[in-house]
Amino acid sequence: MKAALTLAKREWAALFFSPVAYAVIGLFGMGCGLVFLTGFVPGQEATLRSVFGAIVWLLVFLVPAIGMKFISEEISGGTIERLMTLPVSEPQIVVGKWLAGMGFVVVLLGTLALPVLVLEAVAEPDYGPIVSGTLGLVLVGGLYVAVALFASAVTSSQVVAYMAAVFVNCSLTFVLFFVPQTEWIKEWSPAVRAALQYGNVNRQYADFAKGLIDLRHFVYFLTGTGLFLFGAVKLLESRRWR
Amino acid sequence: MIEAIRLTKRYTPGSPPAVDEVSFVLEPGTVTGFLGPNGAGKSTTIRMLTGYLPPTSGGAKIDGHDTLTDAHAARRLLGYLPESNALYPEMRSVEFLHFVGKLQGMPRRDRKRRIEELTERCGLSLILRRTVARLSKGNRQRVGIASALMHDPPVVVLDEPTSGLDPRQMSEVRDLIRDLGGTHTVLLSTHLLPEVQRCCDRAIIIAGGRVVSDGSLDALRDEALRTGQAGTVLIEAKGSVEAVRTALAGVSGVDQFDATAADETGWVDAWLVSDRGVDVRDAAASALQAAGLLVREIRREVPTLEEYFFRVTDPAHTPSRELAEVPGRVEATGGDA
Repeated sequence: MKAALTLAKREWAALFFSPVAYAVIGLFGMGCGLVFLTGFVPGQEATLRSVFGAIVWLLVFLVPAIGMKFISEEISGGTIERLMTLPVSEPQIVVGKWLAGMGFVVVLLGTLALPVLVLEAVAEPDYGPIVSGTLGLVLVGGLYVAVALFASAVTSSQVVAYMAAVFVNCSLTFVLFFVPQTEWIKEWSPAVRAALQYGNVNRQYADFAKGLIDLRHFVYFLTGTGLFLFGAVKLLESRRWR
Repeated sequence: MIEAIRLTKRYTPGSPPAVDEVSFVLEPGTVTGFLGPNGAGKSTTIRMLTGYLPPTSGGAKIDGHDTLTDAHAARRLLGYLPESNALYPEMRSVEFLHFVGKLQGMPRRDRKRRIEELTERCGLSLILRRTVARLSKGNRQRVGIASALMHDPPVVVLDEPTSGLDPRQMSEVRDLIRDLGGTHTVLLSTHLLPEVQRCCDRAIIIAGGRVVSDGSLDALRDEALRTGQAGTVLIEAKGSVEAVRTALAGVSGVDQFDATAADETGWVDAWLVSDRGVDVRDAAASALQAAGLLVREIRREVPTLEEYFFRVTDPAHTPSRELAEVPGRVEATGGDA
């Protein structure tokens, strides 16, 4: 664990060395701000629900921009050779990088403090849904960081890694949203339709935004994150045999 | 301490091997040069030795720990400078050394003490606080070497450590490597023969993925003399060209000779080629003296290690015969130039 933390610390510092991190924070802040201001109307509920609904989509595209370099940059830059001849295991490398990505997600979500302060100044917000919605976003972020990490272990190109991660994220959101809506799948197999709906990230997130914390959603996110991290470890290990 | 056991690497199945059954054992405290032209398989062998690349067949051990199945223990004993020496560009030199030290399990106090030592030994004082991205190639190389030595490992593998360094830095690094001998087992990969001559006790020469020569530097020098070109003797004498030719014609053991006027002052340049291993300088000097000619230089061109290196790494060279002949080595005779 100590080695993973050492790796996470380095990776986290490296994230902020790149302008990509600031571009991501800027885009995220802009998106949140616009949605918040649009819904910021006197007489409305003092919540962040509309903001949460928008953020969960933003993360589909923004998190891969942070995670795309995690392993691909080590491969293209050649630092992987030194790293993998130090007494560090593949799971330690993957967990370290994932923790760094999570650290970034937390910083990103930290910018939500601003709209919360505005709400606090003008009304009495209900903190329950705000806390649960933010917790849900951390889980969604964790899953997307794992997806990006997995994609970056596939290739030495950051662009390819980004596209691959966005592709997976879109599959987990758009595809799993639209396909179960089709008539043929409703007629063909309601069980498959239910399974596909279960896989939809945004559907799993919806309850968090409403203020509901359900163990089943935790299981979904933790399992998904674990699977992609496991895949990343296996890809990294397989580099030795290719 | 380091053991390569029939290491073989094929990058694609069925292709000719990049490294072909390379075996050697490095004894503790020795500095061994791993020498070969570019593309000979040096880096591939080293990557297999350090456990970065799995061999197609064969294996490697560091102090008895297999570099693949017992990788963690093997890596604890190893300090490695990869050929690419890739560093994280955003880190300061001192941060990078702390990073490597931490991953090697060194407590903070030890890391600080060690960085002070290495600052002195590797000449880092001016670059310690600078960002790696802003360092020159030579300075980056120094940071890379320092990071390989960070946890004071008993086994040090350096892949072309002096590449990108200026002559002064090269000399400093070579001194550093030589000082590691005795207490560390060092494998120094290079394509520069002078580096091996300066730092190493032993040289392993590799070409076309195979070991073509392996022995102490003295043994290799003897081998160079024994198997090298026939000896050439260069002479400068005063007199007529004809007189010099006549005198040299009487020397026994000479295959070929000739003489030409060097300038108008009466000095004549002559050369003669004798059989391999036969020193004809004494006989040539006597013959010229008997003819009443003044001699100011008689010099034998000795086959050098460099010439030997070129010869054994030549793709047309067949290594097996050369190696088989090593036990019956002929002592070099009076070869002081």
